[in-house]
Amino acid sequence: MSGASCVLVVSNIDLRTNTSIIKPSAFLKSSVRDFILNVNNDYRYMKTGYYVSLHAEILGNSVVPTTENAVDAYRPPVLLIRASKNGVPAMPHLVTDSVKQIMAEFSFPVVIFAVNPFSFNGFQTAKNRTALYRAVKSLSMNYRYAVCAQPLRSEILQVKSFFGECNIEDDGVREIARKVYETFKIPVCKLLIQRVDGEAYLCGLQPLKLEKILPSDVDVISKIVSRFSGKGWFD
Amino acid sequence: MTQIACFVEKYNFTYSDEAEALERFKRTAEQMGHEFNFIFRSGLSEIPKYDAVFIRATTDPLYTAYVVSKTAWELGLKVVDDPESIRICANKIHQYRLFEKYDVPHIPTLFLDKEEFHHRRIEEIFELFGKPVVIKAPYTSFSKYVEKVSCETSFREVAKRFFRRSDYIVVQKFMPSHFDWRVGVLNGEVLYVCKYMMPKGKWKHGVKRRGKPSFIWGRTVTLKRENAPQRLKETALKACSVIGKGLYGVDIKEVNGDYIVVEVNDNPSIYRGQEDLRDKDIYEKIISFLVK
Repeated sequence: MSGASCVLVVSNIDLRTNTSIIKPSAFLKSSVRDFILNVNNDYRYMKTGYYVSLHAEILGNSVVPTTENAVDAYRPPVLLIRASKNGVPAMPHLVTDSVKQIMAEFSFPVVIFAVNPFSFNGFQTAKNRTALYRAVKSLSMNYRYAVCAQPLRSEILQVKSFFGECNIEDDGVREIARKVYETFKIPVCKLLIQRVDGEAYLCGLQPLKLEKILPSDVDVISKIVSRFSGKGWFD
Repeated sequence: MTQIACFVEKYNFTYSDEAEALERFKRTAEQMGHEFNFIFRSGLSEIPKYDAVFIRATTDPLYTAYVVSKTAWELGLKVVDDPESIRICANKIHQYRLFEKYDVPHIPTLFLDKEEFHHRRIEEIFELFGKPVVIKAPYTSFSKYVEKVSCETSFREVAKRFFRRSDYIVVQKFMPSHFDWRVGVLNGEVLYVCKYMMPKGKWKHGVKRRGKPSFIWGRTVTLKRENAPQRLKETALKACSVIGKGLYGVDIKEVNGDYIVVEVNDNPSIYRGQEDLRDKDIYEKIISFLVK
């Protein structure tokens, strides 16, 4: 949101900034009318971070991230569709519950993500048919739900992204982080990336556990929040 | 000619009335000169070949149906249910917050978060709503994850279970009735009206049999839409107006002559001989909406 006069930061992370910050529980009881910057380690559907964005939207506030983006970014197939539409190199994917279909589409090894309401953001890798059957059975809750399969062409790189900035010296990875933020505006997340023949490809986005946010990460997030909140600019 | 994909799961063909309704959708679309194909989970890569997507599998932002809806939406296809309707209808907290904001008459409701889950708050709730109260998980559908509780012990047991997946849950005043109105709405117009009767001695339309995995469902009594009370239809349309322009099933209680919204469901059930009993044109109207 460009040019907003006032930004209220709602965060469950102990940020060190001069900007006014309130905790999610306090915000959820308030009826503040401001531009809301929701800085949370976890925006999963039906968790507090999600309800902060929902509360802001119901009050008629502009909010980063929106509930739509929070839902979409954490669903691997939707993440990849929307990200590639915005020019992010993404791994090919297949949503199915059929092991045979996965084997017909991709050669081993493959990575399987859950598309079900219980295994939040889980993934498993499979190097052979037996492991694939096991992964699909487990992540689909015994074939009750679908899974999202992708080819596994390199080790999965897990990159912390704060407002689209990351501390990896790889232009491809940095560009992915920047564009994923541009598309979904998830302030704090972990990106899952594969590097194939020197090129970086997005394969997933996950919440970051609170304990994985180190003091140095808090400094980075705080600096970005201070830098932007004065300008009322987070887009 | 429009090519319509109908996303279904195997369970959509379990009950013959639902399977026959799906066949009727196909037949109607074909008689109207369109192509209508069922696609399952394994056929998601075919979505780009179609012009419109009609979702009949259960929707929720965490289910495959949301991926289908969002994929179609991103491709610019006409889709019922659209992703926004799924997000609002699948989360009762989202929905009731909108009802509060836009003054849609609804069952007295409050939201409980994990931090407030203590003895004093539970007592306050019982004082406010009386006993029993109804606890709903935000993701409730098909009468599941909605339970009536009369004491603190059961309140704690149910709430704890629902808090596993959501940091907030819904608590409502218990309003018993012999039936709930179900008003089918499409694009801001009433499509069908019926009464979902409660099974004898029960308080909700679908009840799990004690000690068994199966459900028993109350009867469905269908009216011609023009014979349904005008204020009922107005209430249903108002509730849908805060959600979107898709296909919805609005549950409404009639209390002392007033109409109170229980909830709005996207992806409403359409079974042969039930919702379509009096207004036979509902198939044609839905197909026309998809191809518009």
